[in-house]
Amino acid sequence: MLKVMNLTKKFQSGETKVLAVNNVSFELGDGIFATIVGKSGSGKSTLLALLGALDKSTSGEIFVGGENISKMSDRKLINYRRNKIGFVFQSYNLVPNLSALENVILPMEFAGVSKSERKNRAIKLLREVGIDEAKSKRLPTKLSGGEQQRVAIARALGNKPSLILADEPTGNLDSTTGDIIIKLMKNLAKTEKTTIIAVTHDSTMSAKADQHFTMKDGKLL
Amino acid sequence: MGTIARGVKNAFRNSIRTISVVLILSISIAMALIMFESLKTVETKISSVKASIGNFVTVSPAGIRGFEGGGSLLTDDSISKISQISGVTKVTKTLTDHLDTTTTNLVTPIAAGDFGNRQQRQSTGSSEGSSAGQNQNHSFAMPIMVSATDDVNVMQSLNVSQFNLTSGEKIDGSSADNVAMLGTSMASKNNLTVGQSFKAYNRDIKVVGIFDSGNTFSNSLIIMPLKTLQTLSNQVGQVNSVLVQTVSIDTEASVTSAIKTQLGDSADVVSSQDTSAQAVAPLSNIKSISTYGLIGSLVAGAIILFLTMVMIVRERRREIGVLKAIGASNALVVAQFSVESLVLTLISSIVGMVLGTFLSNPILKVMVTSSTTSGPSNAGEAHVAMMRVGAGIVNGAQGAVRNLQATINWQIILYGLGAAVIIALIGSALPAYFISKVRPAEVLRSE
Repeated sequence: MLKVMNLTKKFQSGETKVLAVNNVSFELGDGIFATIVGKSGSGKSTLLALLGALDKSTSGEIFVGGENISKMSDRKLINYRRNKIGFVFQSYNLVPNLSALENVILPMEFAGVSKSERKNRAIKLLREVGIDEAKSKRLPTKLSGGEQQRVAIARALGNKPSLILADEPTGNLDSTTGDIIIKLMKNLAKTEKTTIIAVTHDSTMSAKADQHFTMKDGKLL
Repeated sequence: MGTIARGVKNAFRNSIRTISVVLILSISIAMALIMFESLKTVETKISSVKASIGNFVTVSPAGIRGFEGGGSLLTDDSISKISQISGVTKVTKTLTDHLDTTTTNLVTPIAAGDFGNRQQRQSTGSSEGSSAGQNQNHSFAMPIMVSATDDVNVMQSLNVSQFNLTSGEKIDGSSADNVAMLGTSMASKNNLTVGQSFKAYNRDIKVVGIFDSGNTFSNSLIIMPLKTLQTLSNQVGQVNSVLVQTVSIDTEASVTSAIKTQLGDSADVVSSQDTSAQAVAPLSNIKSISTYGLIGSLVAGAIILFLTMVMIVRERRREIGVLKAIGASNALVVAQFSVESLVLTLISSIVGMVLGTFLSNPILKVMVTSSTTSGPSNAGEAHVAMMRVGAGIVNGAQGAVRNLQATINWQIILYGLGAAVIIALIGSALPAYFISKVRPAEVLRSE
């Protein structure tokens, strides 16, 4: 369950003050796949950063699973990112010198999951997103874009997060692969009972979302 | 794969860079090791040279110049004052005298030669009335030197560079018996053996021992108990040299100063460490070069590693952001980069140690050559200073510079590894700060 109340983010850009997120409020239930669409500079990525505790809001509150992350200390925010949040990025952002399997294991290692458990879970997750054992041993550069994004999704699911935040997850993929990724995320939202919010320009993705929002000038429409 | 394993793996992520960094860093570490080895070798040699010179202060009548005289002899009163100075452990007294054909039946084993005759002619030119001056066309006989001490076990008091008793026994320096030890040349020239006697100061002096000092000058000496020579030469209560031993090398300066205060202008006071400082001047030059070289090499190594790590951190800024976004703490990321830095440094250390092992002696030789040829004035002073202490020390200190041999041991290797860890920590300290400043939100903004 995600609840955002009157969330605002202001920052200074040179001489001008920017109101990137302007008094945004919304709620999303568990297992929902939602999208946020909007032009560049509309505040989508800033909103995503605030939800993922990558940045701090100027005002407002964010509740994830009943916990108010706006009041958390830096140390607690690290734990929050470890255990409650999964990230999927447009350019996958896998660690290039680690295999697909090692990449998926990484957040579980940070969360202190035991060695055998994290390996078994990573293998299972990779299988769920369609990466077989042979491919799981490959470095990211030896995988296609779609496969890398699948690995990134598996990595995001590692610690069974309440919320997965995806920033343009199909932005670097062809339409066929993009469709596969959208279906995968939608299914995972249902099966893993995870809320997924994807920021996108892709209208196909928006159409397939359980809920979609549009952002304009920092406001959620 | 844990943080350490990732750090190790990252060190080999870019093979060309790894090879380049290891190559440059290993040269820096090799230089540091060579400088450290040189420093240790030189320090050890300086200590051994100082120890060989010993911790003693020589007190002579002001202006005295060997057997040629000058100044008034030191008296029991002066010696008593010296004995009471804090830090003085032993005072050894010596007296020297000349014998000639009128005072002994001994024949000197040293021929005057051209040089001796020339010196004698110059001397008699200003000494009218002397027996030699009245007969300048004839070769004169070199005077026979008698040296006396109250303790024959203090090598420096015997006026010999080394002392090996070849027959008989040592004299008792504290006795007043008419006994003597003869150098081998003197004994051989006069066909004397242990138990036989010779005439000196109109008395029969019994030969109790014969010694070999390794050179003709010292082997022509007669060594007697102090009291015996004082009585025979009518110099009771007088000495022409006092050898003052101090508690340690550290107290020598204060003892020297106290003696100068007590005796004022009446005595020349020479500290063995003043002498040794000049004797080891070439070694001190090498020590300075090694110290600055060591510091320079370590700083260079730290800068090389620092710049490498800054470059790596800047290059992996996004990756750092991703790691933080998926739950890594600053400490974890910093640890991973520190391990990477440490691995690069340790590999460089191993290569550096191999290089250092092969290059240490050639480089030390270059330093020795440049140090000994670039400082002729120091070398000259050292030589003069050493001459005052004894011929053996001259040989020892000269050899000290020539015979320097650097050797790598476990202690040096451990120091080297310790230095490598310090370099790694210094080199990655600021990059670690940069890592802590990377905000994970940058990952999204840079998409």
